[in-house]
Amino acid sequence: MNEPILITGMGIVSTIGLNSDETLASLRAGKTGISAIRFLKTAHQEFPVGEVAMSTDEMAKRLGIPEGQPRTRTQLMGIMALGQALEQAQLTLEDRAQAAFISATTVGGMDMSEQFYPDFLSNDLRNDYISQHDCGASTEGTADYYGPFASVSTLSTACSSAANAIINGANILRSGRHEIAVVGGSECLTKFHLNGFNSLMILDEEPCRPFDKTRAGLNLGEGAAYLVIETAASARRRGVKPIGLLEGYGNACDAYHQTASSPDGEGAFLSMKEALADAGLNPSDIDYINAHGTGTPNNDSSESQAMMRLFGDDLPPISSTKSFTGHTTSVSGSIETVICLLALQEQFLPVNLGWKHQMPDGITPVTDSTPRHPLRHVLCNSFGFGGNDSSLVLGRPDILDIPDIPVIPETPIFITSVAQISIQEGLSEAWMEAPILYEEPFVRSRDVDFKQWLSPGESRRMGKLLKRALATSLTAMRASGVEHPDAIITGTGLGCIENTENLLTHLCFEGEENCKPTPFMQSTHNTISSLVSIHTQSHGYNATYAHKEASFDCALEDAWMQLQLGRIHTALVGGHDEMTPQYFGLLCKTGYLGNPGQVAGETAVSMMLDAKPSDKALCQITLVRRCYRPSLDTLTQVAAEVGAVDAIVIPNIGFASSPLMSLFASTAAPALLQYKNLFGESYTAYGLGIYAAAQVLSHQTLPDAMLLPGSSRPAKLQRLLVVNESGGKDFTFTLLEQH
Amino acid sequence: MIQELKGKIIEVLNLEDVTPEDIDNDAPLFGEGLGLDSIDALELIVMMEKEYGIKLKNPAEGKEIFKSVSVMAQYVNEHRTK
Repeated sequence: MNEPILITGMGIVSTIGLNSDETLASLRAGKTGISAIRFLKTAHQEFPVGEVAMSTDEMAKRLGIPEGQPRTRTQLMGIMALGQALEQAQLTLEDRAQAAFISATTVGGMDMSEQFYPDFLSNDLRNDYISQHDCGASTEGTADYYGPFASVSTLSTACSSAANAIINGANILRSGRHEIAVVGGSECLTKFHLNGFNSLMILDEEPCRPFDKTRAGLNLGEGAAYLVIETAASARRRGVKPIGLLEGYGNACDAYHQTASSPDGEGAFLSMKEALADAGLNPSDIDYINAHGTGTPNNDSSESQAMMRLFGDDLPPISSTKSFTGHTTSVSGSIETVICLLALQEQFLPVNLGWKHQMPDGITPVTDSTPRHPLRHVLCNSFGFGGNDSSLVLGRPDILDIPDIPVIPETPIFITSVAQISIQEGLSEAWMEAPILYEEPFVRSRDVDFKQWLSPGESRRMGKLLKRALATSLTAMRASGVEHPDAIITGTGLGCIENTENLLTHLCFEGEENCKPTPFMQSTHNTISSLVSIHTQSHGYNATYAHKEASFDCALEDAWMQLQLGRIHTALVGGHDEMTPQYFGLLCKTGYLGNPGQVAGETAVSMMLDAKPSDKALCQITLVRRCYRPSLDTLTQVAAEVGAVDAIVIPNIGFASSPLMSLFASTAAPALLQYKNLFGESYTAYGLGIYAAAQVLSHQTLPDAMLLPGSSRPAKLQRLLVVNESGGKDFTFTLLEQH
Repeated sequence: MIQELKGKIIEVLNLEDVTPEDIDNDAPLFGEGLGLDSIDALELIVMMEKEYGIKLKNPAEGKEIFKSVSVMAQYVNEHRTK
């Protein structure tokens, strides 16, 4: 077992309440929040939803956000819920500046994009909202309302996103990177999601009936929920009492299908099993399960099988509270964690509304809220598309002596293989000898022949990005000799944006009829990671980060931490982004692309990381640090940890003259290297920076084109610091050393 | 109708390596045969609505209708509204 983590604050906004007191009252009264659509602008009025009972304008007003300032519903709900959690945990500004913030979403600013997309394309009236579209923008907007956090990340693994944000935060605490993490997510209803789920034919026109024989689908919901989690030492020091415990957690991949769960619920079974083992508990210790229970025929049957496999005949009370809130998709993990904490505090069982008929071969959910035994430990399930399955074990805070988390010294990890498909020759190192240099502002990837990786049948639905991601992943896995990595972790700023664009264009210009399921399915950010798992039958940890230009960075940090913790021994880490001519045009308007001398490109880069050294290692990673809006003190500290380096790989030309440089070049002026002149700019280009640096260290050769004009050549190639900068506020420092 | 449907199936499902001659009129489209899956079924349901005005409410109905191209053609002929 591992040491439990303290939960010291929680905040929630959903259709059954704008805070935890209101939520509790609705749960106790058996009052559902699912009703007819009030605010969402859609032709599909036939579907009941779980809407938060406030218009977007009302939310902005309540939060004092001035008119004219861009606001998205996801961000506003997030700000409301986050404020409650920060207040309950009594986090001061100084505490927050030391805390990690990990937020989950899949729609990001889609509620506004789907209204203003025609404007984006044809005029400059709504340009402010273009940069609000992506998931990372939602996280930053939510974080910035309350002032700086030490680091910010965005998780996007469909309906398990918020559960994975909690897991990532817990790993951050256990690895000793921070002592406090604020974790959860926010997700608003959108026409995009409603039509997407409708194209999969899994929406019910009646209120949902999870685990009922007559269940016919889910009702979409929306909301936000955050938790403050911290180490026992930190809570003692701050003099705050826990409201609950995170006792254990697990994540596994079903590796079965992009949108359906396997008949025997393998992924769900593995994630629950891992969570119990992590908490040091037996199945018989679990007093209640808050099931994923969406109300679709497929989920409830698969999840039933998984629970019956793990718990046998001794099933604890089980319910799906989606019958109250609707399916709040990416945020369901944190919303339902708050519900579980309320159940533990108040010692009641949240009931399963709408259940009447026993389903064959399924569980029987609880309809009576009085528990037969005291609730000590509860299990909370969240499952997402691509079979991304996560389980959390939550407990009461009244354990007297919560042990401190042991300090784990950081040790190097090893890059054992790398592969890229980009605007340089794909799956090749030709760029080191003969780089292709571009004058154009936007160049698409030089694709390889994908037939050796995929049969035409397999690839029939896949966009180019999925094919590139699979080809680089399989190349890296084969080179390192690992068939099933313990973890598959992906960074993608925009996901398969061509598919998102396709559905958005359809909705905005053709209306809400005849929406196809494929673009929706592939618009989900974690479709890339899921594809690799399904193709390679890898059931291990699976996560996707969608955090602007730091998307790959978040993925690398996650792998680094879990390799340090010994939770995993091998990880496939990827950075994947495509760019379309249309979206390039939009990002030129925001100032991100189209700048003089800049080439916009596309990225597919994969690398295998190993906790142990081997002959295969190209180089080792000895440090990964991420900082958000860092103070000079923080940066000085990072520079001291880094020490002297032979060269700094910079994110852009402007960085060479940034005041930051003096911190890292204090002892001897290191050489300055660049890579975006070769690989182009894209949200996950940092992955290519790490790739290029690893190749330089491995080959002990520095291509001339990587040397920044005017820079001296490095005397030796042993220690390379690869720096990333996103929006002038989000920094990543990765130190690569010769192996 | 059978020829028309084969063309549409290939186009909508992007079956690059399949020609209309490869599709047996009576062979199952799903599982064995063409090896299509549940997402393909949903794509065909969208196609049925768009091209022939046939609205299917329940994906389970698709299972019966998409048994083979012959069955599909018969259904379309009987139910089309455009």
